[in-house]
Amino acid sequence: MDYTPQNKQDRQKMLEALGIKSEDELFDAIPADVRAKHLNISGNQTEQELLKYFKNLAAKNKTLTSFRGAGIYDHFIPSLVSEVTSRSEFWTAYTPYQAEASQGTLQAIFEYQSMICALTGMDTSNASLYDGATAVAEAALLAMRVSGKNRILISSGVHPEYIKTVKTYLQNLDVKIVLLDISPNGSIEKATVDAALDDNTAAVIVQSPNYFGVVENMQVLSSAAKENNVLFTAVVNPLSLAVFQAPGEYGADIAVGEGQPLGIPASAGGANIGFMAVRKGLEWKMPGRIVGQTIDKNGKRGFVLTLQSREQHIRREKATSNICTNASLNALAACVYLSGWGNEGLKKLADTNMSKAGYAFHKIKNIDGFKAKFENSIFFNEFVIETTKNIKKIDKNLIKNGILGPLDLSNHGKQFKNCLLFCVTEQRTKSEIDKLIELLAKA
Amino acid sequence: MNIPQDLKYTKTHEWVKIEGNKATIGITDFAQHEITDVVHVELPENGKNVKKAQPTAVIESVKSAFDIYSPLTGKITAVNEEALGDPGLINQDPYGKGFLFTVEFSDNNELSDLLSAEDYKQLI
Amino acid sequence: MEKLLNELSSECKAAYEINCDMETDVSIPDHLKRKSDLGLPNAAENDLLRHFTNLSRKNYALSTAFYPLGSCTMKYNPLINERIAKFESFNMAHPYQPAETMQGILEIMHGLERDLCEVSGMDAFSLQPAAGAHGEFAGLLIIAAHFKAIKEKRHKIIVPDSAHGTNPASAAFAGYETIPLKSEPDGSIDIEKLKEVLTKDVAAIMLTVPNTLGVFEKEIVEISKVCHENGTLLYYDGANLNALMGFARPGDLGFDVMHINLHKTFSSPHGGGGPGSGPVGVKSFLEQFLPVPRVEKKDEKYVLNYKKSKTIGSVKAFMGNFPVILRAYIYIKALGGDGLKNVSAQAVLNANYMLAKFKDKIAVPAGGRCMHEFVLSPKAANGIRTLDIAKRLLDYGYYAPTVYFPLIVEEAMMIEPTETESKETLDKFIEILNKIIFEEAVNEPQKVKDAPVNTPVARLNEVEAARKPTLKWK
Repeated sequence: MDYTPQNKQDRQKMLEALGIKSEDELFDAIPADVRAKHLNISGNQTEQELLKYFKNLAAKNKTLTSFRGAGIYDHFIPSLVSEVTSRSEFWTAYTPYQAEASQGTLQAIFEYQSMICALTGMDTSNASLYDGATAVAEAALLAMRVSGKNRILISSGVHPEYIKTVKTYLQNLDVKIVLLDISPNGSIEKATVDAALDDNTAAVIVQSPNYFGVVENMQVLSSAAKENNVLFTAVVNPLSLAVFQAPGEYGADIAVGEGQPLGIPASAGGANIGFMAVRKGLEWKMPGRIVGQTIDKNGKRGFVLTLQSREQHIRREKATSNICTNASLNALAACVYLSGWGNEGLKKLADTNMSKAGYAFHKIKNIDGFKAKFENSIFFNEFVIETTKNIKKIDKNLIKNGILGPLDLSNHGKQFKNCLLFCVTEQRTKSEIDKLIELLAKA
Repeated sequence: MNIPQDLKYTKTHEWVKIEGNKATIGITDFAQHEITDVVHVELPENGKNVKKAQPTAVIESVKSAFDIYSPLTGKITAVNEEALGDPGLINQDPYGKGFLFTVEFSDNNELSDLLSAEDYKQLI
Repeated sequence: MEKLLNELSSECKAAYEINCDMETDVSIPDHLKRKSDLGLPNAAENDLLRHFTNLSRKNYALSTAFYPLGSCTMKYNPLINERIAKFESFNMAHPYQPAETMQGILEIMHGLERDLCEVSGMDAFSLQPAAGAHGEFAGLLIIAAHFKAIKEKRHKIIVPDSAHGTNPASAAFAGYETIPLKSEPDGSIDIEKLKEVLTKDVAAIMLTVPNTLGVFEKEIVEISKVCHENGTLLYYDGANLNALMGFARPGDLGFDVMHINLHKTFSSPHGGGGPGSGPVGVKSFLEQFLPVPRVEKKDEKYVLNYKKSKTIGSVKAFMGNFPVILRAYIYIKALGGDGLKNVSAQAVLNANYMLAKFKDKIAVPAGGRCMHEFVLSPKAANGIRTLDIAKRLLDYGYYAPTVYFPLIVEEAMMIEPTETESKETLDKFIEILNKIIFEEAVNEPQKVKDAPVNTPVARLNEVEAARKPTLKWK
């Protein structure tokens, strides 16, 4: 199959219109000695054959009952989300450059921006970025651009792949990245931030709940940064904001995070959506697309891409970012997802995550050979348990029982030797959690 | 095209009004026409030291952005706060309410590089 | 006019519900609690379905009409890709589940890397970058890592003025100074002008082949030679790969690093502006710098390797945009090598067929032949501008071509038909575009200036949108 609709006669007519015998003549400009030889790529399958071929490949993956989070979460996706994102008018459209012909995408992004602002308590959201990791890196760049300073303090409780991405992004720029250690109770202390701040610091970046599930005292950390005129960047789980203090409430300058919990499938870690929202005054410095409301020449409300002079197609090397895509279809998914819960529904969803994770936490830490790593900390739907048991064996046994167990944190330094990161979302039933507990008890 | 006689000009389409050791700077009527509707302005911080021919401000239209160069070396002593909130002033009144910033200049020799209204008229 | 969600919001029951089968005491201390209202809308499922369905009908899309958007390769997005991408064992997978439980996913990634190497003539690919500009950025970091490793200080990147805006922006973010190179009227490179800027501190030159005017760079072998003799690497912007498959491979042309837009050449849908995927490919001497994790095959098993000592790091979290990667692989398995070659042949034939119908009447800065796309410089009567023509096309149900790009062409209109449009579709579009330029602009110019009138909204006030930004619900 190759999806070219022309039949032989049409192709012949087109060649004749050009006065040539074969398409090959159109490639005359390519020097003979660098012409490609036959491409050795298998294929030429019909739709029916493809379906079989990929069913076989799909069967080589195991679908597991997940107790693993660490940045990608198993949340329920309501039917409405996939119904809307499956409409070809959305998924086969391009970036909404011609506004009059793209009002669907534009209004949906405007609504997405509005709900990201509502959730984070911030003033302005962009139309989204690639993922949580790149959103953190872009936040660091934004802070440097605004402050003219080049030292970034980043909590070691930020997702390790996000930290890695920040380092990758900034590797050729004149910037110093300082990692802030987390205390034995799993969170960042104000004193740690105070001690690390100096006149050249552009931003303090803290994640809450952090990678180890612990909810940080963001109010105190944000104040510490602001007292020193340093931009405070919050990396947050959007669902947790239904019940936990929002970045806007504690005075964050920039709020970023991974939007995957908002109705987007795990898909092996992609495609995701990074969100970014800022306080008033930073919107012209923000990277990424932004949709704004305006009126048409008849006075009718409409939406356009706006503040565009920040972008690469205009600013070229002086742009606020090199990116020109957002994660539009996932922004649509997040928009549909958030619009259907209502305030009470989203709170109940967050509470349910906490209840289920709390139940699992109390049961697991009381199993012989298991104990809470951060006993008195507050968490959302993830927590760390230390164990004396053989982690590899536990993992294998759980997989055998169709369960994707907790993540082994042994690679995260001495502090996390023999530690496991559990995640329990609203998707897990009591009987699934009880089965996990039973298997752990037997380990 | 309005080119006031009493002002000095640059090849990059800024106008300069000299008063003592201070110079007020904006963009010319010709420039605001070319740029079309100004939607956003970025101005330097008050007190900042600037160098001649260095990008000092940015003027943005819907589809473009333009660097504005300081014609003189010196220190910024005033910026047009009003234009920040109402960038359309630069289109409506480029030589008045749409000025950009004032520089206390430090090198009198640089003044001789500025163009007269006649020279500027020739240029455009 | 479609209401906004907050205007639609009412006291009704919300669309979704959750039951909790356990009660645990999990009180949140007051100082960590959210105090402010959530401010989300409240709407029933029925109303939301209508809202979003109505919104979708305000979009022009590839599934509603021809989308001749130059540089964007708006080819048909096969439905079988969507069907397979919905398989649970693909979209429920967790990135940190053990490799042995996602062999299918890793096999697909490995297979795609191999096929991309074959199409492009590169030796290795990383599928991690999430879009073209992201792949470009990764590629430039790889170039920087290379020069660091061989201890050469080079801080400049040459970018022709006809290039995509992402090129200079990516170079700046990778820490480079951009040196613009003036291109010829047809967008090609003059070797003598290149030599003038090709100093010892130039790390790389970024080229788009065919260039953004749709012309194959005839001197590419010579350019490659001159650059390599200077120790300068060649970067290939993969945006225009749809013109070359099976005819020329960037790797054979002398390119050292490149990215591919899977959402252009390999049929993954654009989704209204993402998510995309921009794999970065390199010649073997640069493979050690590719971002991690890499998918490797060991003893007939696929594994993820995060530990590569020379890697530039990671440009995003996890492995890459798998759903996009999967669709590209399904597409390749539908076509095979010969099918891909036929794609480029037909894409170039379609573009030339259209160009032939315009070239005697409308200015064409790059001459009468093109590759997969071409640029017109229509100067219609009565001061009708390219923007007006673009808006008028919307009235006829077409999405508009890319306008005012490349920057070096006055009143540019860039048309890329792709291979998946029939002759009838092309003929009809040619007829309409001619009608707008040569009949309507001449006889009814106001009609063109007032366009569009058949769209959900008329021309929008972009100046006010930017001067007094309203960026969320009031």
